[in-house]
Amino acid sequence: MTPDLTLRTRTTPAGAVIELAGELDHHTADQVRAALPGLDLHSGQQLVLDLDGITLFDSSGVTVLIAARNHARAADASIALASVPNCVSRIFRRVGLEQVFTTHPTAQAAEAAWRPPSS
Amino acid sequence: MSRTSDEEGGSPERDEASADEQAQFSALLEDSAEDLYERAPCGYLSTQLDGRIAKVNTTLLDWLGYEPGELVGHKHFSDLLTVGGRLYHETHFAPLLRMQGEISGIALELKAANGARLPVLVTSTVKTSSDGQPLLIRTTVFDARDRRAYETELLRARQQAEEERARLQRLNTTLQKTLLPPALANVPGLDVSAHYHIASTDEVGGDFYDLFPLAAGTWGLFLGDVCGKGAMAAAVTSLARYTLRAAAVYDPDPAAVLDNLNTVLNHEYNGTDPRFCTVVFGLLTPDHDEGGFRVTLASGGHPPALLMRADGTADYLTTPGGQLIGVLPDVDIATTTVRLAPGDTLLLHTDGLTEAHINSDAEDGERYGDDALLDFADALAPTTASDTISAIRDLLDKLGSGVDDDTAVLAIHVPQPPSDEHQ
Repeated sequence: MTPDLTLRTRTTPAGAVIELAGELDHHTADQVRAALPGLDLHSGQQLVLDLDGITLFDSSGVTVLIAARNHARAADASIALASVPNCVSRIFRRVGLEQVFTTHPTAQAAEAAWRPPSS
Repeated sequence: MSRTSDEEGGSPERDEASADEQAQFSALLEDSAEDLYERAPCGYLSTQLDGRIAKVNTTLLDWLGYEPGELVGHKHFSDLLTVGGRLYHETHFAPLLRMQGEISGIALELKAANGARLPVLVTSTVKTSSDGQPLLIRTTVFDARDRRAYETELLRARQQAEEERARLQRLNTTLQKTLLPPALANVPGLDVSAHYHIASTDEVGGDFYDLFPLAAGTWGLFLGDVCGKGAMAAAVTSLARYTLRAAAVYDPDPAAVLDNLNTVLNHEYNGTDPRFCTVVFGLLTPDHDEGGFRVTLASGGHPPALLMRADGTADYLTTPGGQLIGVLPDVDIATTTVRLAPGDTLLLHTDGLTEAHINSDAEDGERYGDDALLDFADALAPTTASDTISAIRDLLDKLGSGVDDDTAVLAIHVPQPPSDEHQ
């Protein structure tokens, strides 16, 4: 069986990046949730979720993005979404989340926009 | 036995071992064809073309408990079968064998001398002469008792699984019903109707609604959708329902009610397993000056209500900016107030309807959508609560398996005063 969702994580100076491709729904949501505790994310960094390859998104996907947001906040980090596809922005508009997440056109743009915390 | 000296060729031990192997191999070569036939690990049977038994091996005789003389020349192959097996032999086995010259792996039951039944797999071929004339039928018989026991066990396990599934479905349906009000409150001067469409009885869905009395002359109503399915969603649904009713008694302002629900859910489900719902809460009060009702709706990220007016027009009552309830510490809740004049109908729905796939074959195809629902409402207006709900039920039937999520609908309608009915 081919996986419905592929998940890759990488680390940049700005913080961890999770690249998601495929279907993010109630069948695959736990896969992303399980990846959160293992992230290399430090205070002041930015967690980026790159949604470029997402083809299907439902309300369970929303809870995963919220869980990621909670996780970033607990680590005193920020969160940003990159390459948000239509299927995600449609649901975001519907449930009033479009103002809650910072979004960038690409993961590179998200990384470039990050500023280290001034000490 | 220690094998440590095996590496050294020519050791006495090694010579002994190879001599043993040689003896075993010779014994194999001397295995007579006769003994192989008689004591093969399967039954052998040769019959004349009419089925009369001409030769049978010891293995089969032992299985069935017969002496050689009892079968050869006296019985037909079909005499060894059970009644059902004999019928199958006459109608399928023998004709196919005649046509094809061979038939293999047929499951039959043999009857032993003591009446016991022996499940077997039978393969037969027709031996022909050099000029192609059929001479006799050769049959091999394999003991299928183990296989039959395995099949019986599989069947039993499957029946049990089906019973469990039916039990779970009954439990889910019961649980679903407890999440809905047994009856909607009767509001004087208002016609009310609702419907809950269950997309799958395998998992409890998270849609909910209610209509209930508050302080004298005011009524609360809500309709919402908890994210996800199953027992966890049902627990959130239950919490949401009771919180909404309790919060409305405490402070009936619709935005305050949803704010309270948000606080409760956010405290209960934060961290890695956040749970949210989208919900519309409404406060209904009779409009004593102009007639009809005034309704204030607060929306937390829920699809907008539809107003179908007495004049035949329909519009969404949008509440832009309202946010989903339960996952953000502070939420924006949007409200709108509208007057329901006599003849007007208000419809609340969950997105199971608008998210339904139009073409149920396509997993990722086109959805029914908000525009189609508005056109549907426009064509329906002016209407009543019960007519709206029955039209929605027809629509859900038409969408069939394209509706892959539960759908709840609640309609309220202000009937025309009796004197206006003839206009």
